[in-house]
Amino acid sequence: MSATVIETTGLTKTFPMPAGPVTALRDVSFSVAPDEYVAVTGPSGCGKSTLLHLLGSVDTATSGTLLFDGRDISALPDAERSRIRLTQIGFVFQRFYLLPMLTAWENVELPQGEAGASKAERRARTAELLDYVGLSQRARHRPSQLSGGEMQRVAIARAIANRPRLLLADEPTGELDRSTGEQIAELLDRVHADGNAIVVVTHDPAIAARAKRRLEMRDGEIVAEASA
Amino acid sequence: MNSFYFAWRSLFRQPVRAALAIAGVAAIGALLFDMLLLSQGMLISFRDLLDDVGFDIRIMATASTPISGPRMADAAATAAAVEALPEIDAVVPMRIGQARIVGPDSVNLTLIGSVTSSRDAWTVVEGVDLDAIVGSDHPPLVINRNVAEELALVPGATVTVRSECSERYSVLPTVDFVVSGIAEFPFDPVDQMTAAVAMPDFDRACGSVMDEADVFLVASRAGEYPEMAVKAITRLRPDLHAYSNAQLVDRFQQVGFSYFRQISTVLATITLFFAFLLISALLTVSVNQRFAEIAALRALGFSRRRIATDLLWESILMVGTGGLLALPLGLALATWLDRILKAMPGLPGDLHFFVLHPAAVATYVALLSTAGVLAAAYPVFLASRLPMASTLRNEVVG
Ligand SMILES: Nc1ncnc2c1ncn2[C@@H]1O[C@H](COP(=O)(O)OP(=O)(O)OP(=O)(O)O)[C@@H](O)[C@H]1O
Ligand SMILES: [Mg+2]
Repeated sequence: MSATVIETTGLTKTFPMPAGPVTALRDVSFSVAPDEYVAVTGPSGCGKSTLLHLLGSVDTATSGTLLFDGRDISALPDAERSRIRLTQIGFVFQRFYLLPMLTAWENVELPQGEAGASKAERRARTAELLDYVGLSQRARHRPSQLSGGEMQRVAIARAIANRPRLLLADEPTGELDRSTGEQIAELLDRVHADGNAIVVVTHDPAIAARAKRRLEMRDGEIVAEASA
Repeated sequence: MNSFYFAWRSLFRQPVRAALAIAGVAAIGALLFDMLLLSQGMLISFRDLLDDVGFDIRIMATASTPISGPRMADAAATAAAVEALPEIDAVVPMRIGQARIVGPDSVNLTLIGSVTSSRDAWTVVEGVDLDAIVGSDHPPLVINRNVAEELALVPGATVTVRSECSERYSVLPTVDFVVSGIAEFPFDPVDQMTAAVAMPDFDRACGSVMDEADVFLVASRAGEYPEMAVKAITRLRPDLHAYSNAQLVDRFQQVGFSYFRQISTVLATITLFFAFLLISALLTVSVNQRFAEIAALRALGFSRRRIATDLLWESILMVGTGGLLALPLGLALATWLDRILKAMPGLPGDLHFFVLHPAAVATYVALLSTAGVLAAAYPVFLASRLPMASTLRNEVVG
């Protein structure tokens, strides 16, 4: 096991656009330790989501290197990168993206089944996770029957279902009111305390304040770093 | 959750949409199925009809259909010679002419002259066959149900027949017959009037011993290929035209029925294309609505292959359910259409246009499955090539 979950050097991402290329990420170098909680902040359009997508291997950099767990996974075939995302990286989205036709229970169980967990394992883990996020009573409810905060809690349970090494969250409280956002922030704190590395992109100073380490971005670059 | 169950849940997340899709596939599938039943139906029905009669070879004077062609002379001797061939079991000469039952109520009918044997060209359903009448004042005659009902005849009744079989006499004398039984003639159209008598009585009604036949019905010996028997007959009598049932079916396929086949092939192709378009459009629309969801699943680690399998199952479910419902629907429609087409005059009552046969079902399943898989190709392509990052981003920004 590597000393870093993530290590980037000179990471750059350019989008070719009709009006000329847009460089969303410029020469970004930093690393994340296995027990770190990192918040990425910065104005809209500064490249936060782009960075997160590269970290989560849902997109590839134009140049620079990114090591996941000490390994360059960018050149791996799609199937293998999917497998790494499935088992080692958790994603939490601003818009939750729970599957509307599945219950909370099924949404949390889904990635476990895909990873090949047995029925008994899935049952135990799903029950544990729903309890963990305080939604045991809502197991049979569909996303449409849950509030935004509840949906995000289910999404977090889903993201950590396969015990990933790294949890990535893009504006996890962006759609929620302040007090619900606080609840999500507390949940992320607990996930971190249980030993997950977390990188969270946020506009919300309250969330950012909880992270031990804060990266400030501007125009595709990390311009400041602060530690608590 | 396996792909199949996942696809099931995906499909039925919008039950009305799923129901409409399945109903659409069912409707198109029913049409496709009917076209397949139609393309072979008449041939199969014709073959069954020929086979059911119990004779597998027909000998005629010309290559054209009987009745219209010239007759074959020396019927009795020819029949005996052919029957003597080792490949042949039985030969029944047959004359077909026109006659009139005269009296207070009279009807025009087709009069068949034949010899009775263990194999008859008809099936007695009431009373007895011709050869069961001995020592009667009048020669026997069997009539079909239409004649019996038209003239209120029962076995034992006497009728007076005036034959119109000969060109030599303008008006022939009448002959009295006793009705021995009521029979079914396999090639009778529904409103056909038919009667049959023994060959000597046919000649007597015609006013002279002609010893002619319009057609010989031949049964090959069990275990022989009818085609071999046909070759033997042709060697014996190159001047005559012998056809096995299969050869007759082939001839009809080339002339009369090819037209049904063409129509049904064209319509089946069009229907299949509609099925493809419908499924493809439905799946594509549904994939388009789910871009964000699919991108999120990919980000969570679902492979392209898994996404593709889910969609393929969704297509299979839609096509499978609709296609299955299409079978009873298609059968009901076929029965109805068959009844309409059979109202055409002059067709044998047992001839059908739409016939259910295993090959049609197999072709139907194969065609529809192919359409379902092909229709899923484009949406599967869209979904598995979806760029995750920009899709997730567009959903938040847009
Ligand atoms: N797929 C893309 N195609 C073209 N340009 C893109 C794409 N993704 C991002 N960009 C551009 O890259 C820059 C950074 O975008 P990004 O989404 O990373 O910003 P962000 O910091 O997450 O903003 P926000 O806070 O609004 O979410 C922007 O100028 C954006 O227009
Ligand atoms: Mg963003």
